[in-house]
Amino acid sequence: MYIDQKLCEKCLDCMPVCPMGAIMVKDKAVVIDYETCVECGVCQRFGICPVGAIQQVDEIPYPRIIRAVFSDPVQTHESTGVAGRGTEEMKTNDVTNLFQEGKIGFSIELGRPLGGAYLSDLEKVVKKVTSMGVEFAEDNPVVQLITDRSTGSLRPEILGERVLSAIVEFLVPEASAMEMIDEMGRFIDSELDCVVTMSVISRADAEGTCAFSQRLRELGKKPYPNGKVNIGMALVGNET
Amino acid sequence: MTHTLNRTGLSDARPAEEIIVLCMVHRAEKIRKIEEMQKIAKTILKYKPDNIIGEPLGFGPEEIETMAPITGVLTAVFSDKDAVLQLVEEIKSQRPGVSVVLSGLFSDIHDVCACTGLQEHTYHMSLGIFGKTDRLPEEKTLEIVTQCGHSLISPHLVSAIVKKIRKGKMTCEEGARQLIKPCACGIGNPRRIEKTLGEMI
Repeated sequence: MYIDQKLCEKCLDCMPVCPMGAIMVKDKAVVIDYETCVECGVCQRFGICPVGAIQQVDEIPYPRIIRAVFSDPVQTHESTGVAGRGTEEMKTNDVTNLFQEGKIGFSIELGRPLGGAYLSDLEKVVKKVTSMGVEFAEDNPVVQLITDRSTGSLRPEILGERVLSAIVEFLVPEASAMEMIDEMGRFIDSELDCVVTMSVISRADAEGTCAFSQRLRELGKKPYPNGKVNIGMALVGNET
Repeated sequence: MTHTLNRTGLSDARPAEEIIVLCMVHRAEKIRKIEEMQKIAKTILKYKPDNIIGEPLGFGPEEIETMAPITGVLTAVFSDKDAVLQLVEEIKSQRPGVSVVLSGLFSDIHDVCACTGLQEHTYHMSLGIFGKTDRLPEEKTLEIVTQCGHSLISPHLVSAIVKKIRKGKMTCEEGARQLIKPCACGIGNPRRIEKTLGEMI
């Protein structure tokens, strides 16, 4: 994104709209700082500029395009090999059965809910969980950035890119899930230069309740009282 | 994406404050579920959500129904639990073969399941925020910015709008309408944001 200086009337109304704080005044001009901007496109979509001075280049070059793919939810860029930023994770689990009994899914999301993250921090997490022998959820654009599955190394040219958020998703046996929570909590707090959310995915038991949630509370993990639940709608009509 | 998972400020002490309904077709099924997704979009709109995917981009009902099978996903926020109950019941009667995820208090979601004869299939639970948490804004601002799952609501925008409200240049309702605009998925809850803004001034 950039601001067309010939059009900009310096009203400054656009400055607070940027979630990264990338719009700033430099040398008496309102500019979008190239390094801070993650190409999320909010400044343009918001329609805040009365004269249309906020503009996008015709084509964002690689590897910078990675920023848009991981930051702009309305953009998909196939040329990067990353089809969209997100994943279906548990949302379609009543169809995919990816998260089964006995396994716990983890979502470790860097840069959220604020501030974004460099992909060098993403690589640290991927390498860490690779060393712990996790099973990656393959339906995730982060997996496509891994060049060496034995170490968790990412494409070297993208490590300096900054994104609004990126999620590492993997599964572990339920028996080792609590240890994973503790270990990743320590690792994130000590090794990463960003904010991170950590979440877990568990299949419901036969009564529709969640025994793992109860165990979390018993061990003092304090999950939020709110969250997401797949209610099995895709199975309606297919019951045996 | 973890999307609606990390919303802060909800509490079992204030039940039924909001439920977000997400309907998603597994990508391999997308081509076979065109009519189903259009029908679900129409059904969701009938129950008058507080916000719905595409609305912040200026889309009307026709565009939302057209886009639903293309994107394969629909999201909408409700502040009325009874409306969600009826909506889920109606989607169930359509037997769409489409996944539905409810976001909100687990106790509210359980009520919806119990009343509609459905059962929780898979849970996604947030363990909270880690890392450089000293960079987070204060609690009320965080409640607003976490209403966009893609982190597109700027805390600076929240501050700017609070200032305008304090100066009498904008109402809390108008401020809330502004703050849901960055979130294209339509999961920002204007009623909750309006209430939170009222608590901030």
